[in-house]
Amino acid sequence: MSDGVDVIVVGGGLHGMSAALHLARRGRRVLVLEKDRVAAHASSYSAGGVRTLGRHMAEVPLAVESLEMWHRIAALVGDGCGFREVGHVKVAESAEEMAVLEARAAEMRRAGWTHEELLDRAELRQVVPAVSPHAVGALIARRNGFAKPYRTTQAFRRAAEAAGAQVRESAKVVGIERSGDRWTVRCADGSEHRAPVLVNTAGAWGARLARTLGEDIPLGFNALMMMLTARLPPFVTPVVGLTGRPMSFKQTDSGHVMIGGGHPGTADLDSGRITVDVERMAASARTALDLFPILRDTSIVHVWCGIEGVMPDEIPVIGLSAVHPGLVHAFGFSGHGFELGPFIGSIVAQLAADGKTNWPIAAFAPDRAVEHPSGGALLQPAG
Amino acid sequence: MVETIVIIGAGPAGRAAAAALPEARLVARPAETAWHAQPGTLWVEAAGGIEAVPFTRLLLCADEKLLLMALECRFAGGWPVVDERGETTCPGVFAAGRILGAATPEEAAAQAAIAAAALAGRALPGRIALPAARPATVQEARLDPTEMASLLEQPPGAERTRRVLAQAELRGPALASVILPSRPVGLAALAARASVRPPPRVPQQDRGTLS
Repeated sequence: MSDGVDVIVVGGGLHGMSAALHLARRGRRVLVLEKDRVAAHASSYSAGGVRTLGRHMAEVPLAVESLEMWHRIAALVGDGCGFREVGHVKVAESAEEMAVLEARAAEMRRAGWTHEELLDRAELRQVVPAVSPHAVGALIARRNGFAKPYRTTQAFRRAAEAAGAQVRESAKVVGIERSGDRWTVRCADGSEHRAPVLVNTAGAWGARLARTLGEDIPLGFNALMMMLTARLPPFVTPVVGLTGRPMSFKQTDSGHVMIGGGHPGTADLDSGRITVDVERMAASARTALDLFPILRDTSIVHVWCGIEGVMPDEIPVIGLSAVHPGLVHAFGFSGHGFELGPFIGSIVAQLAADGKTNWPIAAFAPDRAVEHPSGGALLQPAG
Repeated sequence: MVETIVIIGAGPAGRAAAAALPEARLVARPAETAWHAQPGTLWVEAAGGIEAVPFTRLLLCADEKLLLMALECRFAGGWPVVDERGETTCPGVFAAGRILGAATPEEAAAQAAIAAAALAGRALPGRIALPAARPATVQEARLDPTEMASLLEQPPGAERTRRVLAQAELRGPALASVILPSRPVGLAALAARASVRPPPRVPQQDRGTLS
């Protein structure tokens, strides 16, 4: 039995570690319970995109604030996390898709945001010389980039532990009860932990925790697939996505080209088992080859998946429980939570410590009326 | 279901197995490269493109341990866990030859003959001796995907296999099957398989609770 903590965080991914870090730095005693190992799923198997481009309008202020944290990430966690500012580009493959990007740019300007700029055909070729001739233009966010997910999550863990947080791995939560002003959390190994505040950062398993406590949140899940090609000479600098097809495409320092963006395999939440879908891998390869004919002679050397929680409206659940006091949810990032990680942890810390935040999170309320994707987001590449 | 036996490899073990199982489909480099395996399906790259080769039973006679990992066969001491017939912990999946530590072509062929006899339901001409366990895996840090790609790019061999098995241990059995492909696969060949754009996959649904 451990009673000496103020906050129990369930889920040892990036969001759990970020919450633990921010809480510990506010002087709170924090215990993180992770059923597997830290960064077992999406937090180490995402594509590592640090992207504000094309986000749902409700996410934009949070993503912009988080991007500022990425630009000084070493000061925050003592590690550069492999962050590289290379820009993100959303390519239009037709005039119709270019019109979609123009409408998005206009909406962003009306809302007062200036970080997304249109590129015409010639400007796109200056930024991405290897792009296929059929591409007609793009939208760019120049200060975006990418980082290394596993390294990042481990850096947040180290920083959280240095600030006093405790992290327990192989601590699968099997029961939670609230009695009086305290939560009692039981783990499969028989241990029990008590604290007045519970934070749910359990990712794809987040709705299970909520449902156990009587809060039904319509979270689904995907096993998002990524592929890496053999090393190639440098030919593309920014991260490239598409307007009409799911894809995220980047070349790493090592020369490998990472192709991801949305095609899922299948997963089992009970076992954590994942199966790749070769036919959908083929679709990703087709998209990449269409956009970058330079890939014609290369090979795929690695394929992997990570399980990610997905909400029907493709924006996360962030906020105080609508049912219980002392319960904060932050999960369901729908394939694009990595960039938000550094900042969402500070919002969660506000909610857990103060019961409120000064940031606009109403759109992410656990009890919101969930609709299909809206909010002006462009097709969101996973990762 | 129609019985389809697939043999991988055309070395001494593969040739012996093919001779004993003439009805089996033989997949062997360089004409055909088995680059991934899933239960009931072997993924093969050849000059004609990517082919999904169905199997009901599989006999792996090439030293391609990552194919067994992809099928979630268990390993111990650096070797696939097999019984005296060469059957792995995955029912219907057999191994013989160098992948089980056979030191000579003759030993490899003898192991293949035993496994083939088991697959054919004939009396076994001997017993496959389990290889001696290798020293405990050297502790390694978990690799991120790019580092894993660099490892998988290395030519197949004992050192690559040792390090991949160590990474599989770090990930746990549920994720070992997604350390793939066993061998690089051509991007263009893979792309050519995608004749039509697949419809978006609806996220999987879950109604579970903590338990």
